[in-house]
Amino acid sequence: MRYKMSSTTLIGVVRNFLDEYMRTTPKKLKMVDAYLGYVLMTGILQFVYCCLVGTFPFNSFLSGFICTVGCFVLGVSLRLQANPQNRHQFVGVSPERGFADFVFAHIILHLVTVNFIG
Amino acid sequence: MLRLLVLSVCVAATVATNTLVLVDTLATRETHSIFLKSLQERGHEVSVKAADDPSLQLSRYGEYLYQNLVILAPGVEEFGGALSVETIVEFVDGGGNVLVAGSRDAADLIRELVTEVGVEMDEEGAAVIDHLHYDANDDGQHTLIAAPSSGLIESDVMVGPSDGTPILYRGTGLITDAENPLVLPVLRAPSTSYCYNPTQAITDYPHATGQNMLLVAALQARNNARVVVSGSLEFFSDAFIMASVQTPQGSFHERSGNGKVVEALSRWVFKEEGVLRVVSIDHHLEGEKHPPAAYTIKQDVEYKIKVERLVAGSWKPFNTTDLQMEFVRIDPFVRVTMIPNSEGVFSVTFKVPDVYGVYQFKVEYNRVGFTRLFNTTQVSVRPFTHLEYERFIECAYPYYASAISMMVGVFFFSLVFLHHKDPAPKSKAE
Repeated sequence: MRYKMSSTTLIGVVRNFLDEYMRTTPKKLKMVDAYLGYVLMTGILQFVYCCLVGTFPFNSFLSGFICTVGCFVLGVSLRLQANPQNRHQFVGVSPERGFADFVFAHIILHLVTVNFIG
Repeated sequence: MLRLLVLSVCVAATVATNTLVLVDTLATRETHSIFLKSLQERGHEVSVKAADDPSLQLSRYGEYLYQNLVILAPGVEEFGGALSVETIVEFVDGGGNVLVAGSRDAADLIRELVTEVGVEMDEEGAAVIDHLHYDANDDGQHTLIAAPSSGLIESDVMVGPSDGTPILYRGTGLITDAENPLVLPVLRAPSTSYCYNPTQAITDYPHATGQNMLLVAALQARNNARVVVSGSLEFFSDAFIMASVQTPQGSFHERSGNGKVVEALSRWVFKEEGVLRVVSIDHHLEGEKHPPAAYTIKQDVEYKIKVERLVAGSWKPFNTTDLQMEFVRIDPFVRVTMIPNSEGVFSVTFKVPDVYGVYQFKVEYNRVGFTRLFNTTQVSVRPFTHLEYERFIECAYPYYASAISMMVGVFFFSLVFLHHKDPAPKSKAE
């Protein structure tokens, strides 16, 4: 009985959360979220592949995997800065500036990745 | 330095070697004439002197006058001249070879001397006794031992090929420390023998019994100097060399085995036999001629070493199938047996291990009867340079794909992100 109740409440919470997300989140942030989901999936796939095949070109695995981790972190940072709700935390940092930081960090990340992937 | 050493060895091999023979009485010159004559015939400058001659000296102005020293003087109480146990030990340290013969009544001086080379003689008056292996000429005390040739060390280089003839021996027993790796048992006593004073009743257990007792012992020091100790002066005598042997078991031999053993053993101790040297070393990458400044891990390397052996006074190519080379970085990472050719060049090709560091090519060859061969060459092994790593490994393609997809993903995401106009303000305005 209690389990059923909690499950219904859990489902309720999730549904509530999804409704809220669809309704209030700006479309721009949804796009960032989609991008993050894609990056996350790529990272997980690589990890599974590494578990199956072994760590032989370990530098390749590291650079491939850490590249996705880095992309994810940068994407989350961009999302934080692009979120209008956080505007008071980034006083003096315009969304354009945030995006420029994002692109600059990506250039460095990919240079390092290509250098290390072998 | 090495070249100088090789040169000096060459010179020593061709020029006559000086041998000093010390005797108790000059009569020894007659009783041991076969042994002394064989030395002369082999090119030794033999000088026979009384052991207490006041003019004795081994070195002059820091140079040794003799390469070899033979002490056939068991009774000497004190050496004459500049000779003492210390100078003889120094002589061995300086590369000189020594042959010492003792006896039942050997003086303390000789006992002290042999103790310095890791051999102990039994108490004064004690003789090796064997009631099963004695010669028919024995006086009844069974101290004239006809030692079976099976007691000889298994080394043709040291004692010559065994022909099964018993060896005559009369003297004291020798005890060595079995843990001492430098001392070799040249002739072991028969298992039924023991060492005790034959004129006394046995009241306590003999110090040396059976196979633990040696009749002849040899030392090859770490500098390859050689020392032979025999507990019997008569072992080298004409009488024993020419004697026939009849054992109580009934076998009869026209000549004792002493002649051959003494000849072979004196060749060995005076470094006429069983001497090896390294002539040259060569190492390089497979297919090249000269060694590189440093090897890289996983490279194929060829190593060659030329070894020669002294045969009848001249250096001849050495041939064996058990010479090994080690590639050592603290521990040996590679240990391979080298393949000889007819010119005495041993070669091997191997792959450098996948570990970089400072390595040594090490050849170490220790065989009974031969001088120690030891040679190391230091080389460095470096890791791959950045460019030498393998590229485009097939199983890494998913990682490459992921990295490229991340770049493409960022590009398209950026395009979409920049060109997207949020409709939010519009709805807000509405």
